[in-house]
Amino acid sequence: MLDPQELEILALSLKVAFWSMLGSLPLALALAWLLARREFPGKTLLDACVHLPLVLPPVVIGYLLLIVFGRHGALGAWLETHLGWVFAFRWTGAALAATIMGLPLAVRAMRQAIDAVDPRLEAAASTLGAGPMALFASVTLPLALPGILNGMLLAFARSLGEFGATITFVSSIPGETQTLPLAIYALTQVPGGDERALRLCVLAVLLSLGALIASELLLRRARHAIHGEASSG
Amino acid sequence: MKTLLRIAALGIALSLCATAYPQPGGPRLVVFAAASLKDALDEVVAGYPGAKPALSYAASSALARQIDAGAPASIFISADLEWMDYLEARGLVQAGTRRNLLGNSLVLIVPAASAASLAIAPGMPLAQALGDGRLALADPRYVPAGKYARAALEKLGVWGSISTKLAAAENVRAALAFVARGEAPLGIVYETDARAEAKVRILARFDPALHPPVVYPMALMQAAPAPAREFAAHLSGDRARHVFEKHGFRPL
Repeated sequence: MLDPQELEILALSLKVAFWSMLGSLPLALALAWLLARREFPGKTLLDACVHLPLVLPPVVIGYLLLIVFGRHGALGAWLETHLGWVFAFRWTGAALAATIMGLPLAVRAMRQAIDAVDPRLEAAASTLGAGPMALFASVTLPLALPGILNGMLLAFARSLGEFGATITFVSSIPGETQTLPLAIYALTQVPGGDERALRLCVLAVLLSLGALIASELLLRRARHAIHGEASSG
Repeated sequence: MKTLLRIAALGIALSLCATAYPQPGGPRLVVFAAASLKDALDEVVAGYPGAKPALSYAASSALARQIDAGAPASIFISADLEWMDYLEARGLVQAGTRRNLLGNSLVLIVPAASAASLAIAPGMPLAQALGDGRLALADPRYVPAGKYARAALEKLGVWGSISTKLAAAENVRAALAFVARGEAPLGIVYETDARAEAKVRILARFDPALHPPVVYPMALMQAAPAPAREFAAHLSGDRARHVFEKHGFRPL
């Protein structure tokens, strides 16, 4: 059904999306918890910054990534010398771009999930002697889990569709950074590439639909779990 | 809440006012031009006495596909003949308006700070010179600059050695930027691009015999407004030729 080249593009897209989803998890969870459970000066600013990738043009994000994480960038040079991490022209760069673009979606979903956990349950656990980590692990996390998974799935779906930041930061290298959207774009530029471009478009739609439906089902389970039978229907 | 509503109302009102901003009378002249023309064409337009056209720069491939899909371009200046042929075959070019406007050269570049040196010759050690870096160039599958580069490297017999070590950019200016930023140790762009960017150094120029001649054809698109003819004539005139020459193009 899919030729070897298309399979390679699909495999790379899934790999980049998967790792970007994992990579965003700790940061998104930490930010979500911070925004849901704590008040501090600059909270609104942090909230706005987290949402920036949603409204900034992706090309801007890609360009900023190039300046900061490129081989001669502020952080990129340090990361390469001390940790051997290279983002320029590698799939890791594509994953980083996708992580940043998906972060706002993940944080929003996770924050809503944590917000929905009754703080009195946490207070009760605390009076029974639970420290903050135990509290999070045994009370907040299990109750917020469907919503957290929903956030991860949204980040995954967003990564599958990431184009502007990726092509600006790591260009389009088949087998390395040419994810599904970049491959479709390349095919639309070549005369006679329309048929293959359409095939890949259908694939992209199916993948994204799958991820979104899964995330929607998770959300329903979350509402059902938290509110019980009363909210059904 | 009321203040918020007032601010929202003000924002909407301002946006509406912006849409009513007076546009110059008559249909707008839109020029689609290859990315490599940016600096030179901007200067030509700045000195144009008539109504200034809107300029859209991108890879010739992207522009041609957009015109094919109905984009309202009045004039198209491509970086190679193939993309103009593509539009002509689809009946999108006004008969008798196509002419070759400019010529250019292909060069091998390095970041300005690099001390590398490499001569262009058959079997040149390009792969070794790249090391674990990548060769920055416009996408050789469809962007003219990349196609010329690929043709030259194939003729030199080194394409196979570096075809997996490319950083294929969306257009030639993006490739130039990769080298200027030091992300890529070597790049292939037009001579005019290299001259426009202080952060790159030209290592060598490709012999024109190595690739199809770099020709920029220009033509009027169907349904181009009347001012398009004047502007096209201006582009072929002495003032514009002088500007193009200054940037390193060869007026034809």
